Amino acid sequence: MARIPDLLPGTLDLLILRTLQKDVLHGWAVSERIQQVSQDVLQINQGSLYPALHRLEHQGWIGAEWKVSELGRRAKYYRLTAAGRRQLAVEAREWERMAQAIGRVMKLA
Amino acid sequence: MTINDLTLRLRALLRPDRAEQELAEELAFHIEREARKLVDEGMTPAEARERAQARFGSTALAADRCRDERGTVVIDSSIRDVQYALRAVAKAPLAALTVVVTVAIGLGVVAVLFTVLNTLIFRVDQVPDVGAMYAVERPPSARADGSLLTRPIFEAMRADTHVFTDAYATVPGIVLHVDGRRMAVTLVTGNFFQVVRVTPVLGRGLVPADDARSGGHAVIVLSHKGWDRHFNRDPNVLGRTVIVNGAPFEIIGVTAAGFRGLEVGGPDVWAPLSQLGQFRPADRGREDTVGVEIVGRLGPHVSTDSARAQLAAWDANQSADTLQGHSTRIDLLPRRGTVPQPLEAVAVFAPLFVAFGLILMIGCANVANLLLAQGVARQREIGIRLSLGASRGRIVRQLMTESVLLALAAAAGGYLISRLALEGAVHFTLRTIPVDIGDVDLTVPAADWRVAVFLVVGAVAATGVFALMPALHATAIDPMRTLRGEVVRDARPGRARNALIGVQVFASALLLICAAVFLRSAIASARFDPGLRTADTVLIDINSEETRAAMIRAVASDATITASAAVRPQLLAPLRLAFADSGAGKTRVACKAVSGSYFDVLDIPIVRGRTFMPSERDHHPVAIVTESVARALWPDGEGVGESVRLEPDAGVQAPSGLLRINPRAPADDGLVQARMVTVVGVVRDVPGLRFTGIKEAGVFLPTGLDVAKTSIVARVQGEPNLARQALLDRLTRIDPNMGTIVTMRSVAGVETFFLQTAFWVSVVLGGLALLLTVSGLFGVLSYLVEQRTREIGLRMALGASPRTVTRLVLGQTTWPVMAGLIAGAALAAALATAVLATPVGALISQIVHVMDPVAYLASLGLIVVVCLLAAWIPAARAAKVDPMRTLRQV
Repeated sequence: MARIPDLLPGTLDLLILRTLQKDVLHGWAVSERIQQVSQDVLQINQGSLYPALHRLEHQGWIGAEWKVSELGRRAKYYRLTAAGRRQLAVEAREWERMAQAIGRVMKLA
Repeated sequence: MTINDLTLRLRALLRPDRAEQELAEELAFHIEREARKLVDEGMTPAEARERAQARFGSTALAADRCRDERGTVVIDSSIRDVQYALRAVAKAPLAALTVVVTVAIGLGVVAVLFTVLNTLIFRVDQVPDVGAMYAVERPPSARADGSLLTRPIFEAMRADTHVFTDAYATVPGIVLHVDGRRMAVTLVTGNFFQVVRVTPVLGRGLVPADDARSGGHAVIVLSHKGWDRHFNRDPNVLGRTVIVNGAPFEIIGVTAAGFRGLEVGGPDVWAPLSQLGQFRPADRGREDTVGVEIVGRLGPHVSTDSARAQLAAWDANQSADTLQGHSTRIDLLPRRGTVPQPLEAVAVFAPLFVAFGLILMIGCANVANLLLAQGVARQREIGIRLSLGASRGRIVRQLMTESVLLALAAAAGGYLISRLALEGAVHFTLRTIPVDIGDVDLTVPAADWRVAVFLVVGAVAATGVFALMPALHATAIDPMRTLRGEVVRDARPGRARNALIGVQVFASALLLICAAVFLRSAIASARFDPGLRTADTVLIDINSEETRAAMIRAVASDATITASAAVRPQLLAPLRLAFADSGAGKTRVACKAVSGSYFDVLDIPIVRGRTFMPSERDHHPVAIVTESVARALWPDGEGVGESVRLEPDAGVQAPSGLLRINPRAPADDGLVQARMVTVVGVVRDVPGLRFTGIKEAGVFLPTGLDVAKTSIVARVQGEPNLARQALLDRLTRIDPNMGTIVTMRSVAGVETFFLQTAFWVSVVLGGLALLLTVSGLFGVLSYLVEQRTREIGLRMALGASPRTVTRLVLGQTTWPVMAGLIAGAALAAALATAVLATPVGALISQIVHVMDPVAYLASLGLIVVVCLLAAWIPAARAAKVDPMRTLRQV
């Protein structure tokens, strides 16, 4: 199983925010969705996932509520807040800039 | 930190079990969901679970990192600090108790002062939106009447300007005597209660109709204080009447306890301003020229600057219409029921705070010493914790937490002590103040949240500052050596300890010297002979001329009165000055008019000649002079039978005393007329009542009791206070508003009373200071002896005699005690010199002997003796150390 151990700092937050942009998901579904969408390239270290979720919750960018899950027991679901939406826009723009910059450097080389 | 963050943190703090449980549940769900996915992919459930768990890694670690994100670590560790501190307190309860009690005593005495200061400058009145209340003032101008605000000015201002939503005019500070008791009256315009927006709890407030210039009502509203003092909180007080100078006034309302009418003390009664003539007969018919205070509620969108400018503009305009040369400056001063000049109050209180603060300082020095000692004792424990990896900051924080806990307990104790002290002091004062002088409304000032804040901040600051030093000391150690059980030399804070002892002795010396000075002065004052008969004489004021005849008849027929005389002006009022010229000599003299029996009633010996005949009245050209006046006017003659010309002098004899019993007594202009008088008698000079500053007159003129403005001085049978009460009962039936009856004994005792009060305050403070110092000294020396038992044992084994050991221990404290004594005495003397240099100081020094050497020596001696005693016990214990046993213990 190929792992990408070193995401750029802050990237995990960006990925979580982007994943929650459309849907309300619990923690496992967030990691699963990232993995699927990235076609297994990005596998979230699950030990870091929950601290990140809690951090984002404290910052007010995502909200949480307990709902009954597909397993029939209750799970903590996260959704993007208005502040989170703004933050996502900012971080996405930053990421775009960074990716382009790296891309230009790579082409040059 | 966002609101969101805060609520989540709070939730985690308040419901830690719930937050923990949710976290566990969330992580468990993840693993279960992962396992379900693996099962769906075809794994067995057991295998899937194992695999899922493996993929997740350590749930404990993840949970821990989540907790970190929660950000409650700081508080968690604080809780652990508190637990640790409680454990430490439980381990040494006696030391903790000492700290709490010591700081509580110190804080308590300071809190007493703060509570009083609080009522003066911080405690605003219970008036809705009190911050909008302002008093209008004209700065006093050179022309005496120019700055006076009168009722017509008030009414014009109210009609013409709109800076205030509404304003009222008031004449405060009218004193009535109702049934022999002082009743403080404030007159207000009828809109007063509407302006302040206060509704009485019983009945109704005044309304504008009550205050109509014609057809107003004779009604009054009681304050809670007046209701309590004069009517014993009678629930049926409404409808009862109070007689004011012969006219009945109906009580229509009682206000709530907290309302003081925007005054510091608050009156007993509010009455309509239109009734001014009834309350102050002297102003009858000239009500419109009497000065009033104007207080208004500033409009909601008006700044004080613009209000001031508008009022000044209006005033200038107004003055141009009527009078020229008015000052056009208008001041707006906040009116909130506190003293108008808070800075002056602070200035008055500052020296008291210093004196009371000394106690707190001594207490804190004790605490610091104790904690220093404890810190040494705890070096081993701290060493272990340091070597286990605790940071120095962490340990200091733990020690600080401990002292903050103790501080909170001390704050609570300080509150209790301050309440007890205040109640006690008021009770004591009311009990000991002469009953006829003591008709003062002295109430225990209430504590409020400001006092609470003061106590907590004070306690935390005090223990904080004094605990930090020992804490830093205690942690500045080498863990390895302390682990081995070596008490590190550097950590033995001898110098700090000596400084603390020195400071304590210094403060005790200062306070005790004050106490001794006051005591000696009080004794001297009690022995002072005014030369007047004070044991069984009383002064009776006649306030209203209408009832004079009836009063004189009652006094003449009263069985308790054995002799009476007329005196004018009243015995405690300033005397009129006159210029006396005999041809042979001239001098300025103080004059008073008396009836013939005056000298007999007051036991003033007549040296030559005779007293006035009953037939000699105001118009008779006769006089009696004192020996010194006779000497000045006729250096060679006898005086009797000589003639002297008297010319009225513009001045009055300025009272030079500290206490002016009757400062506002109007000068009696008709007393001295320019004429020749013949001296019929010469009396002995007497010192007079010193504290009141009213010396006995030099020239006496004849008068009689039936003459207006004279007062009665009478000799009574039996116990003067009982006689006074009986007279008061009988005479108030004739005139409920009659003036006071004062026994001369009380008047003469006032000075002694004040000195005694000062003595008691300083002796209590000084005693406390000494007690704390001594207990601190004792504690420190005992501890040192214990610490050095091994060393002492060794010294004795090597041949030291018990005497050298005793000297060794005593020598520990000789220098700090001596230094403290010298510094204390020097500062006391410096303060005394500074006081003497001020004008007030010159007056004080007549009564208080600020440089009394006996007082200095006695208090210093007392401190030396007590300190020696405190040091002797540990020293003796050291001398009894058995060298063999201590050496074997090693």
